[in-house]
Amino acid sequence: MPIIVNLDVMMAKRKISSGDLAKKIEITPANLSILKTGKAKAIRFSTLEKLCEVLDCQPADILEFRKEDSHADEI
Amino acid sequence: MWNQDKSLNLSILLVRILFVLIIVLALCVPIMVRWYEIVSPEGVGLLKSSIFWPLSICLYLSAVCGEVCLYHLHKLLKNIKNDIVFKPENCKHLRYISWCCLLVAIPFGIFGFWRFLGFFVAFAAAFFGLVLRVLKNVFVRAVEIQEENDYTI
Repeated sequence: MPIIVNLDVMMAKRKISSGDLAKKIEITPANLSILKTGKAKAIRFSTLEKLCEVLDCQPADILEFRKEDSHADEI
Repeated sequence: MWNQDKSLNLSILLVRILFVLIIVLALCVPIMVRWYEIVSPEGVGLLKSSIFWPLSICLYLSAVCGEVCLYHLHKLLKNIKNDIVFKPENCKHLRYISWCCLLVAIPFGIFGFWRFLGFFVAFAAAFFGLVLRVLKNVFVRAVEIQEENDYTI
């Protein structure tokens, strides 16, 4: 998927563990893991809001758009 | 009080009874075919030869398809009972059931040349298979929506 979740990078910068973050943004560790591993299909504004608040960052620090390599399919 | 669980248990029980009943009926196929040969009027099909083998083969193939259908129906009901509803596994079960119905239509379609009644049975089986196929397509879409919902954080 061209949307990359850089949550682990932000977590490392803020020195916060997954368990702590999950507790602070009130989601289960399993759901946080889905988000971190990029398996999530969508993210609620409310979740994004809490993430930005706890990690003291902007949505762009967590989410990144990376164009897919179109040549990969041709090969 | 009648509830969802009891309804599911009843469905499972009926599937099991039908599973055994089909085995019993399959064992009685020669007797049933002989009886049908006597009671069915001759000359209501294009082919005039004996219907013993064509109808026997039809019924045996239908029995096999029926048992496969019931096996998948049983699995489907068990999954629903365990709250596994909109999962790809259930789509697979519905697909098998639908194909079994469509497969039953083939031998009965051929049997229709001996007795025109076969065409009606074939049509009914094919129609039922088609309905199930549409249901399966709906289920596939529901699985996608469920997955999207599960992976929305």
